[in-house]
Amino acid sequence: MSVTRSSVGEVEHDRCATTVVLHPVGQPEPASRPDGAGQERRWRRWAAPGALVAIAALALFLRVWQLDALGFNSDEAVYAGQAASLAGNPNYSPFFPVFRAHPMLFQTLLSPFFRTGEVDVAGRVVVAVLGVATVLAVHLLGARLYGRRVGLVAALLIAVMPYHVVVTRQVLLDGPMVLFATLTLYCLVRFVQAQQVLWYVAAGAMLGVTMLTKETSIVLAGGVYAFLALTPTVRRPVRMSVLALAPMVVVFATHPVSQALAGRTETGRSYLVWQLFRRPNHSMGFYVETVPVAMGLLVVTAAVGGLWWLRGRRSWRETLLVSWIAAPVVFFQLWPVKGFQYLLPAAAPVAVLAARALTALPVPERMGRLLRRAVRRPDARPSTAVRTVRTVRAAVIAVVTLSLLVPSWNAVNRANNATFLAGSGGVPGGREAGRWLAANTPEGSVVLTLGPSMANIIQYYGHRRSYGLSVSPNPLRRNPSYAPLPNPDWWLRHNDLQYVVWDSFSAGRSAFFSERLMVLIRRYHGRVVHTEHVDGTDSTGARVPVPVVIIYEVRP
Amino acid sequence: MTDPTRPCGSRAGRLVTRALLITCLLALANPAAAAHAAPRTAAPPSPTTPIDHFVFLMQENHTFDNYFGTRPGVDGIPAGTCMPVRRGQAEPCVKPFHLGELGSLDLDHTAEAFRVQHNGGRMDGFVEGVSTQGKDGNLAMAYYDDRDLPYYWNIADEYVLFDRFFSSSNSGSIRNHMFRVTGGPGATGASESIPKEGWGDIPTIFDRLEAAGISWKFYVENYDPTITYRSRSAEEDIDRGAQVIWVPLLAYARYVDDPRLFGKIVDLDEYYEDAAKGQLPAVSFIAPAGDSEHPPGSIRAGQNLVRTLLTQLMRSPNWNSSAFLWSYDDWGGWYDHVAPPQVDSYGYGFRVPALLVSPYARRGHVESTTLDFTSVLKFIEVNWRLKPLADRDRRAKTFLDAFDFDRPPRPAVLLSTERTPPVVTRPDPVPVYASYAVTGSLVAALVGAAALRRRRWT
Repeated sequence: MSVTRSSVGEVEHDRCATTVVLHPVGQPEPASRPDGAGQERRWRRWAAPGALVAIAALALFLRVWQLDALGFNSDEAVYAGQAASLAGNPNYSPFFPVFRAHPMLFQTLLSPFFRTGEVDVAGRVVVAVLGVATVLAVHLLGARLYGRRVGLVAALLIAVMPYHVVVTRQVLLDGPMVLFATLTLYCLVRFVQAQQVLWYVAAGAMLGVTMLTKETSIVLAGGVYAFLALTPTVRRPVRMSVLALAPMVVVFATHPVSQALAGRTETGRSYLVWQLFRRPNHSMGFYVETVPVAMGLLVVTAAVGGLWWLRGRRSWRETLLVSWIAAPVVFFQLWPVKGFQYLLPAAAPVAVLAARALTALPVPERMGRLLRRAVRRPDARPSTAVRTVRTVRAAVIAVVTLSLLVPSWNAVNRANNATFLAGSGGVPGGREAGRWLAANTPEGSVVLTLGPSMANIIQYYGHRRSYGLSVSPNPLRRNPSYAPLPNPDWWLRHNDLQYVVWDSFSAGRSAFFSERLMVLIRRYHGRVVHTEHVDGTDSTGARVPVPVVIIYEVRP
Repeated sequence: MTDPTRPCGSRAGRLVTRALLITCLLALANPAAAAHAAPRTAAPPSPTTPIDHFVFLMQENHTFDNYFGTRPGVDGIPAGTCMPVRRGQAEPCVKPFHLGELGSLDLDHTAEAFRVQHNGGRMDGFVEGVSTQGKDGNLAMAYYDDRDLPYYWNIADEYVLFDRFFSSSNSGSIRNHMFRVTGGPGATGASESIPKEGWGDIPTIFDRLEAAGISWKFYVENYDPTITYRSRSAEEDIDRGAQVIWVPLLAYARYVDDPRLFGKIVDLDEYYEDAAKGQLPAVSFIAPAGDSEHPPGSIRAGQNLVRTLLTQLMRSPNWNSSAFLWSYDDWGGWYDHVAPPQVDSYGYGFRVPALLVSPYARRGHVESTTLDFTSVLKFIEVNWRLKPLADRDRRAKTFLDAFDFDRPPRPAVLLSTERTPPVVTRPDPVPVYASYAVTGSLVAALVGAAALRRRRWT
């Protein structure tokens, strides 16, 4: 039996219910069993929280397992460096200015952990915990929209989704940002269901917090607008929208206000200009190639398929979730700058949609008959048929979960890799190279790296001033956060650079600058003083060490 | 310690006999070499200080006041100094002035120029000593400061600056360089040139080191092994022939003719390699070429050379047991206000800059012991228990007070060429923490209120 309502009916229904529970298609009410009913109730009472705790534990495990295997990547180094500088850690203040391009909510949250010494794991643990909080928030969202079962399955999917697992193991803004984005979505759902202005205002404020974590999340406001535009049944008088918009602006104003109060008046204006006009860093097919795989092809298929096979139950909920997905996808697809983790806000609604689809997966009658025959009970009662459907769905959910768990497990165990995609994890050998420089080179040494990414890592772990060769001296062609080296040859000739670091990851991105760097190394008597390797295989399949970071000593 | 002149007919084992036989043959071929440089077969003596590697660089032609006269805390240019244009006439006079990028000349720095400038200890002939040679005498009163020599001044902040370090001879390069390696003037009397037959058998510090089995090398920038006292012509004095002046060993037959000894005079590139491998010899002398700071050459180029040498030493495995001292072979015609002590008929000459870099060097220390180039010989002799070479180094003071051997070696610090390093300004964190805390609390309160409030909006 299917339960369908008109849009108006949906909203009216939601007003009267704290949690909306839609019964699955073709699923009768569960038969009551008088014997052991009390025990069953007790079990049911604890089953859902127990499952949620287990999911959270699994999520935490995946996010902290071998968390220290790789050092920071460039972005992590920058955010951690900002946090350390804000905390007054003398190791980082000379290298990482407190204010760079983004707002400081996350860095402020991190900074108490970075007051002294070299910290990296603690920062990642904070993000991992926020990642687990996102799993719980997704459960809340799913349960609020489609019931507890969907909430649990959605939480399970996001808990093991490689995309979310990988990003929330790194000190990046995107993990915390997705938590707040999911909470914004939750507030919005509460507003739609309750039509309570306070939830609308709370949604605005929470979106402000999301933007305080990473300002690009303002694109999610587009998702809200699209949803409201496509859902006329939701009341949205102008004054109510203004009321919701005001806290968003006020909350985001914390960023410029705190900067001004701290003595810095410049904001990330020049950074925004550069982002607007910089050249694309990836092809137009980048997201299609990377994100569905990272989210899980079965999950994406389920989310999309569910929209089709549950089209009869279409409501404002799907409109909201699809709008929330579409806003960042459309924006970042058109935006020239692409980053692996930029579409992470879409992960939560995709997981909810997939969970909705999987928990209501249509099981063909023929398959039911086959299953009953397989268990040699063709004359089984209807309750057995229901159980069979449930079993099929549970099996499918298990397969989908496993299809996420395996790549996630591989990802968290992949410490030795000669390839690297920005945002997808730590940089093999980077931390070790930095630490080697800190331990084996005189204080005050200056390092030339191939690109700014390795320069950030060297500065974080090596505490040595580093410059990226590929940073353009043209202010229109470089990230304003990076310091260019207008004439590296002159610097080398005058002994202002004492070490050169080549890394295979940057070299893979720019053969031109790799060759330029090698020319300088040869010209200035480059001598290899340290090499970082990862395990690789040669043409015969034998294991060979592959150099990923090479440190040269140079002199005029 | 092995006596380098002991007889050849020793009663030792067969191998030793063969070695001695070879030595005897060498002695027959080159008696001076055998007399001064017989290699020691026993283990070399261990140093008396933690300094296992000593490096001595000699730059060219500046006085202490010319480089550090305006530096606070040193015996610098006295206030109100005004040098008479003519000796004995107070007016007109030239006040010290900052030379900066104005450019300089190769001022006269012969024994005669010294005599005029010194003027019997009245120290009032610096302008006249140069102008009588047809050059702009005012230039003698020019000075450089930390704007021009930021690296040297930074070194002085971090390590040791000597403000009573005199050139050994009151004349030009040749005698001073001979004092540097022999403790004596080389050519005696009025002559100040390299004899045609070379320096003969005047003992050098390298003879002492060789005899004691202590490793040494003479590193030469842009070294051309074909230029020796035999091939050098007078016209080359100011060009590449200066190599023979700055490397006096190239004017010794026994060093030029003995492949083993000659092989220890090497290009400066070997210094970098030796330092990088941790294979610096116990004693290293360095002679520059175009980076000597000899006016009108670029002082920045010289500064860059010293910085490169020090950088390599600081990242060498030898750093923790090393000391690097550099000085300037003569005053170059520039003004210096301290009348040099008269220790013999050859010197001292005017003060020259000298700095010491070592992990044991006292931090920011100004060493005011009266020293000269033979003080460096004295240090080597004291450190490796060697006999003095001459009367000057026997009587010289050394600079052991510039070290602090009671403390562990300091880690190396590569100093920049910026005199004032960029100031790291940390924004006030309190407003940042407060702003975000207030905002977070307000949002949390708002969401909490929404969750608790059940009244529907109308």
